[in-house]
Amino acid sequence: MQEDHAIMASNLTKKYGDLVAVDHIDFEVKKGEIFGFLGPNGAGKTTTIRMLTGVSIPTEGTATIMGYDIQRQTIEAKEQMGIVPDISNVYTELSAWDNLIFTGQLYDVPKKFRDGRAEELLKMFGLYERRKEKVGDYSRGMKRRVCIAMALMNRSSVLFLDEPTSGLDVQSVLIIRDLIRKLNQQGLTIFLTTHNIEEASQMCDRIAIINHGRIAAIDTPEKLKRMIESLQSVEVAFESTPQNALKVLGELPQVSEVVKQGDKFRLFTNDPPSTLAATWNYAQSNGLKLITVNTVGPSLEDVFVKMTGIRPATADEETDRT
Amino acid sequence: MPGQGRAMENMHLSHLGREVRVAWAITTKDTRTYYTRPPSIMFGILFPFSLFLSFSIGRNMPIATQIPVLVAQTLFFASSSIGPVVIPSERANQTFDRFLTSPVSLLAILMGKTFAGIIYGIGISIIPILVGIVFFGSQIANVGALVACMTLSTLAFSAMGIMFASIPGQTPGQVMMPLNFVRIPLLFISGVYTPVSELPLWGQVLSMASPLTHTIELARYALGGETFFGPAVNVVVLTIYAALFLFMGIRFHIMNQRKE
Repeated sequence: MQEDHAIMASNLTKKYGDLVAVDHIDFEVKKGEIFGFLGPNGAGKTTTIRMLTGVSIPTEGTATIMGYDIQRQTIEAKEQMGIVPDISNVYTELSAWDNLIFTGQLYDVPKKFRDGRAEELLKMFGLYERRKEKVGDYSRGMKRRVCIAMALMNRSSVLFLDEPTSGLDVQSVLIIRDLIRKLNQQGLTIFLTTHNIEEASQMCDRIAIINHGRIAAIDTPEKLKRMIESLQSVEVAFESTPQNALKVLGELPQVSEVVKQGDKFRLFTNDPPSTLAATWNYAQSNGLKLITVNTVGPSLEDVFVKMTGIRPATADEETDRT
Repeated sequence: MPGQGRAMENMHLSHLGREVRVAWAITTKDTRTYYTRPPSIMFGILFPFSLFLSFSIGRNMPIATQIPVLVAQTLFFASSSIGPVVIPSERANQTFDRFLTSPVSLLAILMGKTFAGIIYGIGISIIPILVGIVFFGSQIANVGALVACMTLSTLAFSAMGIMFASIPGQTPGQVMMPLNFVRIPLLFISGVYTPVSELPLWGQVLSMASPLTHTIELARYALGGETFFGPAVNVVVLTIYAALFLFMGIRFHIMNQRKE
């Protein structure tokens, strides 16, 4: 049902000369959903968000926001949305208060509601005490919070967040993720682009994986993981790691690929018991002490790697490099 | 049906009211944020004053007769400098995107920016008028002509600045350079240093096509001097340029959005 959809993109395309940045993509975002748009840098995430928010005009295709066509009913569509771009585009010469008030004016929020809304948001975002200071003096995390607060001044129905936590310290990341969850619980639909797989997995109801301008998969994080259930692995760590461990483990029977992750090795296999036994034998015959042994199901990262073709170095590549 | 017609009319009025309010909010924000920026002061104030001084010092002419030239130059440079300072700076920190994503037309956005240039131009050009009146005995002979000169000229030149600011640069310098390629040659064909009546015929034709000519002519006329083309022609030409620059500015900004 179209009424259930906050965002609908149909055949959306953006070309820059011969380069197709976004290639005929279709997707819907349901009302009240946190929808993740996951992809590597340059995949077309920001271009898509710029088309959906009216900054950029699509080469082909259409998009609607809460039922309003962004090209034909531009004003109505824009009234429905708040936008947090990939960089915090705040007026650094103005105070946090003035930034919010100016945003309210841009959306023609009446003065009697504007002041109250600005106060409410600054308190919600923990910035009220410093509201009169110039935003230029704020930390990066605080600027990000001002930017999100500005996007909420018009009581939007859909919030677009482009890499909201990118480049922030851990504390700011946790604060912003918590705020996003709270806003979603209040009924706001959230469209979140990120290249952070963990963030997408933790936050999103559904995820679209985009690569080279095309959507590779759309589903819930758990269903996406189940799509590649066959991709099981055994994770092992030795007390001391021999130089050639990566190469030798890669040659064990049933092991299709070995990836070194910190002090651990992840052995991809379709037969974890046999791989475990082979690994045990390898450790015994080389006098190695196993300190960690886990069998691991596919993660969202595995799905992402499989869908996008982007992956960490394999055993052979690692050997070549050394 | 009369009821429906009234409802439509109210809707249009409400839409128009909103556009005006948003444009004004953009103007006031720009005045607070950008008027004291070094490029605004450099290209909008220091540039016309120093050009004036470099050409007028040592010339055997009474200062009062040169005041209209200074008024015209400040109107020209100050109002055309704000757009090229504001828009590239906003493009660089992506605050210009805020306007593109807000529920308001591109015309209202650009009008807001244009008004910021108009106010700056009028504000700066009042200084030489006051200096002329207080210290050099200048007199305002025609208030209407002065008002027309200041409003139409600042509108045309501010819109010209906005049009040039559609050049997709991210620093004021990237826009100021091509703008100065146009602004400085205009000084030499607009009767700034040689009255239009003393130019050869081809020079007079060229001069007619320059909007700055009509600003200087109107300023001279308003301060008791003579106008070669006549005040009516001056007003018409400046109005045409204002409309043309606004239209082209909007077209160029739409083209930019397509390329985004």
